[in-house]
Amino acid sequence: MKVIIKRWHAVAQWRWDTGVSSDDGDEEGDVCGICRVPFEGCCPSCKVPGDDCPLIWGECTHVFHMHCLLRWIGTAASNQQCPMDRRPWVTAERKVKNLVPGAGAAAPSAS
Amino acid sequence: MATDALRAQVASKWQESFTRLNQNEPGLVGLLNFSQAWNIARECVRPRSLEEPDALTQYEKPTFQASFELLNKCRRLPILLETFLEDMRKRFPVIKAEMDQYTLDYQRTSDTIHILNLVLRLLQWYQKWIPRPELGATLQSAFVLSFQTHIFSSLSPTFVRGFKELCASTLPPVDSDTILPEPNPKMWEAFEILGLLDRYENIIASVAYEHIETYVLTTCAGHWSESMLVHLRKWMADKIVPWMMLMYGRTVTTTNDAQSMLQNVGSRFDFHMAKTLCDLRTQEIFDIIIDFPDSTGALQDLRDCLHRVDQRAALVHALRKANQKRLLHPGADTRLILTQYVATIKCLRIIDPPGVLLFKVADPIRRYLRERPDTIRCIVSNLVGDEDSGDSLVDESEPIQPLQQSELEEYTDPNWEPEPVDAGPDFRANKPSDVISTLISIYDSKDLFVKELQVLLAQRLLAITDDNSEKVEKERRNIEILKIRFGEAALQVCEVMLKDMTDSKRINGHIQSHKESVIHPTIISKHFWPILEAGEISMPGQFQTFQDEYAKEFSAFKPDKKLRWLPHMGTVHLELQLEDRAIEADVPPLEAAFIELFSEQDVWTMDQLITKTGLSVDRKAALKALLTWVDLGAIKEVSEHTFKLLEVAEASTAGRELRAATTSVVELPSALSIQQQQAEQMKLYWKFIEGMLTNLGSLPIDRIQSMLRLAQGYDQTVEQLGAFMEAARSEGLVITRDGMWRLNPK
Repeated sequence: MKVIIKRWHAVAQWRWDTGVSSDDGDEEGDVCGICRVPFEGCCPSCKVPGDDCPLIWGECTHVFHMHCLLRWIGTAASNQQCPMDRRPWVTAERKVKNLVPGAGAAAPSAS
Repeated sequence: MATDALRAQVASKWQESFTRLNQNEPGLVGLLNFSQAWNIARECVRPRSLEEPDALTQYEKPTFQASFELLNKCRRLPILLETFLEDMRKRFPVIKAEMDQYTLDYQRTSDTIHILNLVLRLLQWYQKWIPRPELGATLQSAFVLSFQTHIFSSLSPTFVRGFKELCASTLPPVDSDTILPEPNPKMWEAFEILGLLDRYENIIASVAYEHIETYVLTTCAGHWSESMLVHLRKWMADKIVPWMMLMYGRTVTTTNDAQSMLQNVGSRFDFHMAKTLCDLRTQEIFDIIIDFPDSTGALQDLRDCLHRVDQRAALVHALRKANQKRLLHPGADTRLILTQYVATIKCLRIIDPPGVLLFKVADPIRRYLRERPDTIRCIVSNLVGDEDSGDSLVDESEPIQPLQQSELEEYTDPNWEPEPVDAGPDFRANKPSDVISTLISIYDSKDLFVKELQVLLAQRLLAITDDNSEKVEKERRNIEILKIRFGEAALQVCEVMLKDMTDSKRINGHIQSHKESVIHPTIISKHFWPILEAGEISMPGQFQTFQDEYAKEFSAFKPDKKLRWLPHMGTVHLELQLEDRAIEADVPPLEAAFIELFSEQDVWTMDQLITKTGLSVDRKAALKALLTWVDLGAIKEVSEHTFKLLEVAEASTAGRELRAATTSVVELPSALSIQQQQAEQMKLYWKFIEGMLTNLGSLPIDRIQSMLRLAQGYDQTVEQLGAFMEAARSEGLVITRDGMWRLNPK
């Protein structure tokens, strides 16, 4: 017997690829260190998750909602440091597979 | 022995009487004249038998007039009157015998004609006996009084019954097409003359009342579509008023008199009609509400009647009782109760715009609905307009407005009006709000609705299998409308869900253009969808390949994102190519996974299949999936829980091939209901509770609650926590004593 799939309506969830290989099933997902909302949610100033509320990766491997981090960096108290480890914040180039430029560059083209 | 004085007295009296009678005539002439006059007068007013000729034929008018004058001069008229009445009393038994005869006839035949004859006969006697009007009013009225007394004292109860029937027979028959029975003014005249009208006024009125009642009941019962009141009033004017005129209006000469008479008597009859109709409608109110809006006429009648008759309390009572008996019981479907409730709202708004009646009636319904577990789901599915849920509770024409909060009364409003008098102390003068607001106000908060709405929306969105943007658009329209009610912020989540739908479509379009795939996934944002039923299937064979390929394409398109499949959801349209036939079907993923496994190997046991697909599959679900294929004739059960692929159709299944393209019932992807979700959430917190109780021994529930509040995202009330703890106790995890909870030492 041969099974031919004509059409498959499937359901999937999207996740941010935070680099941490998190294939361990039903993990709750990481939360943004600033707003404590999961990455797949959105930062407090956004209403829509995903490309409209992207993440930002630091050289220090810490990940935040972009909006959260930019607001943090914008405050005088931040000293341009990563809020987690107090090292100077340097936005990392995403080095996923094909080395696409930064996340910020990919997002606008999609939306 | 008489003294001289006495003698003298008698003599003088005698002399006086004599002079009076003798009229100063010489000798005895005066006396003789008097005696002649007396005889004539007596003959004149004697009660005669009917055959005897009238007095007039015997004597010329001047003759007896002269006689009477003479008697009057002699002041003997009172004596004459007495004699006359005495004579009458003596003659009356003759009449009584006749009356008894008529009454007996009536009793035997029940024919009112006998009563009528009796009355007419009495009239004959009356006319025969009545003294001539020239003889003065005193004589006549004395006669009338005495005659009536005699009649009434000898009328039996049977007569009263007959009389009532006789009156009834003169009324227009209820089936109004036939014409009025010929009015018989003579009869009414006789009644009037004999004084029956005055004496039996009650009976006549009750005849009319009963007649009106019968008429109202026969014409109006069950006729709800149009207002009957107008018709009834017309009927009264056409049929009853002429009848009334016969009775009450005979003495009326001017139109003014007639009007005042009608206002007086007529308004009593009108009131009675209104009351009868009101009672009838009150009895029928439950069914009238069921029939709404086809029963608008009846409702208008009821409203008008209630203005006239104070039956509001009775109406409330009747409706509450009917609701209790016919609606608020476990046998009734929640949808039905809601529909009836909405209809009740609409109906009572017609009857009583301020809403006092509604408030009183609605209260038990609302309390009952609050206890039902599926009320919210019903209301919400109505809000989003489920196709399969029948007619919508919501009136399309009603303007959509934001939910109304109960607001404080605005006393500075110049149009402010006090609450109606019969409003209870807890009556809230809510402005006539729309139906949805009313329904939602059954519950204290609208959050429950929003949550349920999400669940429902999720189900419906995931059920859209092809890129049917029309359906998505429809949902979007729904949500837009609901936003007006619930507010933008509350439905933000739904907004994201809808956006996921369109995004999925766009992403899919892009990926398909890159590399075609049979998978057309809906990609959802995890935190914005209700918790979807857990259930992991690892899809075998080519399914896995397709998934992986698609996920790779997706990551290429969105480099910083990846896909996580929810393999137990969705549907697969596939075709089985067997040696002698092909089977096409739409099936859930589990079914697809199983049949894929059959393509590798012909015989499987159910347990093997479950192991292959990742162990988390429920046996019941697995069996159901297999039975789908058995139904389609693709496999058969060879021994218990062992299935074999049928490469060649078996004879017995030949008939089934016709059904080859049947779609097996694809169930809606099940999102967990609110209760289940809550339980799911609480499981998360169980770990916290367990930790607390381990470290601190025993704790009161308030303490547990306040500590849990520290946990992120904890939003349960202390009642919910209590229920959860209770559940934990019944599972033997904790024990409680004096309000303190602690772990069950195993």
